[in-house]
Amino acid sequence: MDRLNAMARPYGVVVLLAVVLGVIPAVLAAVGLGYPFRLAQLTMIFVILSVSLNLVSGVAGLLSLGHAAFYGVGAYTAALLSTRFGTDLPVNLVASAVVAGVIGFLVAIPTIRLVRIFFAVATLSVGEIVILVITNWYDLTRGPMGVRDIPGFRVLGFDLGSPLQSYYVVAVVTLLCVWVVHRLSHSVYGNALRALREDDQAAGAMGLNVGMMKLVIFAISTALAGVAGALLAHSTNFISPDMFRLPESILILTMVVVGGLGSLPGAVLGAIILIILPELGRDFGQLRMVLVGLVLFLSILLMPKGIIGEVAAFDLLRGKPSRPKAP
Amino acid sequence: MDAVLLQGIANGLSLGLCYALIAIGFTLIFGVLNAVNFAHSEVYMLGAFAGLVIIQAFAPPFMAVVFLVAAVGAFLGFGLERIAFRPLRRARDEASLKSRALREATLMSSLAVGILVRELAELRFGGDMQPIPSGAMLNTPIAVGPVILTTGDFYIFGMAAAMLLLLQFLLYRTKIGLSIRALSDDLIGALYVGINTDRVIVWTFMIGSSFGALAGLMVGLYYGTIFPYMGFAPTLKAFIAMLMGGLNNIPGAVLCALLIGLSESLAPEIMPTRWVDLIAYVFLLVTLIFFPAGIFGRKAERV
Repeated sequence: MDRLNAMARPYGVVVLLAVVLGVIPAVLAAVGLGYPFRLAQLTMIFVILSVSLNLVSGVAGLLSLGHAAFYGVGAYTAALLSTRFGTDLPVNLVASAVVAGVIGFLVAIPTIRLVRIFFAVATLSVGEIVILVITNWYDLTRGPMGVRDIPGFRVLGFDLGSPLQSYYVVAVVTLLCVWVVHRLSHSVYGNALRALREDDQAAGAMGLNVGMMKLVIFAISTALAGVAGALLAHSTNFISPDMFRLPESILILTMVVVGGLGSLPGAVLGAIILIILPELGRDFGQLRMVLVGLVLFLSILLMPKGIIGEVAAFDLLRGKPSRPKAP
Repeated sequence: MDAVLLQGIANGLSLGLCYALIAIGFTLIFGVLNAVNFAHSEVYMLGAFAGLVIIQAFAPPFMAVVFLVAAVGAFLGFGLERIAFRPLRRARDEASLKSRALREATLMSSLAVGILVRELAELRFGGDMQPIPSGAMLNTPIAVGPVILTTGDFYIFGMAAAMLLLLQFLLYRTKIGLSIRALSDDLIGALYVGINTDRVIVWTFMIGSSFGALAGLMVGLYYGTIFPYMGFAPTLKAFIAMLMGGLNNIPGAVLCALLIGLSESLAPEIMPTRWVDLIAYVFLLVTLIFFPAGIFGRKAERV
């Protein structure tokens, strides 16, 4: 842990950037240009999903089982915009984030006052409703057939469709998202969210606007899921409603739980583990979800705090134990 | 009333009773542990598969299949409690037994066990619908006036009635039922007056799971749809019925299950069939927003 701490001091960020933008693409390019790059992109997309779910379920303590639906909303927004109107990636990213965020906000208004498992079940139903609407709204979404031939990444008219270029696009967006979540969760605002999680009545008595904070954090989290969806749509070129159902939500939740609820590095690590690990066992065929279930079960049973618990995550990110700071 | 409407009502009632059988298991377990058992849908699925395997192997009379599947369900409930719930209930103090962390941990551990079981079932049996021996299907038509019912309808009506009576007997006339009601009233209190809570919890799981497994068997043989994912949608709807009924209220859950079944069976009259699946979720959201304690609930513990 000491060595990790040392790394996390000022040049931790430089090392991280160097690894993500330099070492990994170099290694991947050495391995091969096709599949490794797709896998790396998928991993980074799930890193966004995992850290955004961690923001709402780990930091703010609102267990959501419908995260994949907003990921789907983002993917459909980007796919429909780019196939119908030929818009570029920046426009699509913003549109996906806005659409997913607004839907998340609207959905949260009635459900946010539910507590604990009732919120979890309400988000599960909301997720099913969203996916059913996407599946059944033939005119807009082509229903269960999905959307084909989504163009690859294009920025300001430049085509960035090659594996290496799309890797960099996804990597930059992912780093930005992780940075945003980092700034949000390791700040006075993040600590206020943690106060909500521990006891929202006490937090309200301290003068926090509990309802509005929950709404906003849920909307931010769904907006980030929308960004992940837009990246997915452009990197796979094909989406269908089945890609965003409950199993995906559970997969994302598993990543957060395995990494450690409330811990940003944990969420990143959880996403990497749960995407890469099943790929290693790809030869065994259908074992992917079995592995997800097994990992979720064992981690709840044996490591309830996750690989990197929240407190350890503070140590890791700040290079020292967190200390209360005057606002 | 015209025959189409009557037919719809008959179909809706038998669908609703199936949801009710699942909802009873949910409600029992929720009442005792205050925890959601997400693996209930897999008990339901395995009940159907167990029935199918038994029928293929021995082709015994129907009642024997029913009892065997109930036994399998009870065994599954026993195992489920051991694997997914008991290990997380190590501490016995009030704070940790009522804590949010425990509820969410059991929610996720049961979810994980459910995924494991479903995926293993898919590996073993394949993801497609299982062929059912034609003699075992419960779909011999019987005309009652203008309405055509099937043997399955009668079996489901009879079974649900018998099981509800049995449940009332168990809960109000036996010692284990008294303990279950005590636990669901106040777990810590029950512990203090010397009830063996672990044993009662196991019993609750066994009763609830055998109801779930029987529901799976009936639905599987009635609609002819036995496949690893069969549990997801009906269990979610049963769960919605439980929430609508007011959590700890078994008659309420049964009524709401009937309501959901009826709405789903009558809705195609007024809306496209493909939107019918939305009904239950809309019911849930409306309930959660306007009746936070459930339609038949007594006290609002939730908000």
